[in-house]
Amino acid sequence: MRLDGKVAVVTGGAQGIGRAIALGLGREGAKVVVADLQADKAKNVVKELSDSGNEGHAVEVNVASEPSVKRLANETFERFGRIDILVNDAGVYLKSPVVDMSEELWDRTINVNLGGNFLCSRAFIPSMRKQKSGRIISVASGIAHYGAKEFAAYAAAKAAIIGFVKALGREVGSDGITVNAICPGAANTAMPRTHRTEEELMARLRANPLGHVLEPEDFAGPILFLASDAASYITGQGININCGSYMA
Amino acid sequence: MSSIALITGGGGGIGGAVACRMAAAGITVIVADFDHGAAEKVRGEIAAAGGKADALSVDVTQAREVKALVTDVKQRFGRIDVLANIAGGSFYTKRIEELTWAEWQEVIDVNLKGTFLMCREVAPLMQRQKGGRIINTASNYGVTGSALRTPYSAAKAGIVAFGKTLAQELAADGILVNTVAPGPTDTPRVIGKESPEARKQRWSQIPMGRTGKPEDLAEAFFFLTTPESAWITGQTLHVNGGLI
Repeated sequence: MRLDGKVAVVTGGAQGIGRAIALGLGREGAKVVVADLQADKAKNVVKELSDSGNEGHAVEVNVASEPSVKRLANETFERFGRIDILVNDAGVYLKSPVVDMSEELWDRTINVNLGGNFLCSRAFIPSMRKQKSGRIISVASGIAHYGAKEFAAYAAAKAAIIGFVKALGREVGSDGITVNAICPGAANTAMPRTHRTEEELMARLRANPLGHVLEPEDFAGPILFLASDAASYITGQGININCGSYMA
Repeated sequence: MSSIALITGGGGGIGGAVACRMAAAGITVIVADFDHGAAEKVRGEIAAAGGKADALSVDVTQAREVKALVTDVKQRFGRIDVLANIAGGSFYTKRIEELTWAEWQEVIDVNLKGTFLMCREVAPLMQRQKGGRIINTASNYGVTGSALRTPYSAAKAGIVAFGKTLAQELAADGILVNTVAPGPTDTPRVIGKESPEARKQRWSQIPMGRTGKPEDLAEAFFFLTTPESAWITGQTLHVNGGLI
């Protein structure tokens, strides 16, 4: 297996794409810290990992809180002794037209989606630097490129993640750490369900050149590639996984 | 049944590494190159490692040769699952006013027209198969430009747009078209031309602190043939150590 002996942290790992990534990393032999605001759901994912013979550990975290992220790092090192792969997936998806948008919605979207990338990366990079290797992979979004009506804060945060990844990649490359993003297209997860009917959603999800409805599991493969030794010379990139709906 | 991959420029530094990587994964590789000796050498390396390969000659700028190549592969193997268009080169470093029309055409033809001719010949077969992977080769210079390499930069940028368009045309048949964009890579062709000082200078600009190896590119090409990349099409994968 490609990730034997590696330790991974997946924020937002309790459901959707994060869960699929956590299970995928486990399948490749990594020990996985499933970090999420929803601790019970995170424990369920750890149970799924252990049921298939892989090792996991659930941590309750608010990625927008400094002390909480510090606890996440401490627990990771106490439990597994190292960090090789950080997947920043935790995010919120809040809808509002800009003119009606509250400062609270704006702050929460930016602090969780973007700030969480900063706090978690900052917490784990010193350890990666010491071992002269590491992988940071952020889950951005196709919305970073094409926007989405009434999701300006989300679009801004996701586009900012891409800028963050490029800058951080330049900062830590000489220590053998790569930093990349994936940009998922619209997928069959709980996230878009909060704002659309089932029928609208499925029609929209299928409307791409390949005619395939993206499932959370579809994003695990590219993450595993980026996490593996095969991608040691790829950094600062955003990989679009969207069935051809946007070509960048 | 083993997958069949056709690789142009398969005798070169990057092409050879791509051929070896795919063969190591059990893919039967047809190594096609302008330089038959180079293709034959890669075929020999693959065979020695226990892989399956064949070596064929082609000038990708000649429609007749491209047609003959693809017909030959179809007759012998019955299908083509992967087409990797790696044949290319920048050939000249010249100011535009010194560049002849023939030189311009030579660079555009090997890189851009060759990619077109190969895709045009292979796509109908992949359409009948209802599946396939086409991987074209661009360059960081196609995005940033590169002084004294106008035709090369233009051709590589053209390959990116060509690939996106072809991806849209072939998506309904389950064919994925993507582009790999190498940064400066340590191939014999590049190393031979470069002074140690220039090499060190280049090195210092790369965030990962080292130059690219053909094997780094080979992994990216291989990834784009696997089920893990099944929902990626019309995209460009940059492999340049963070240079851009």
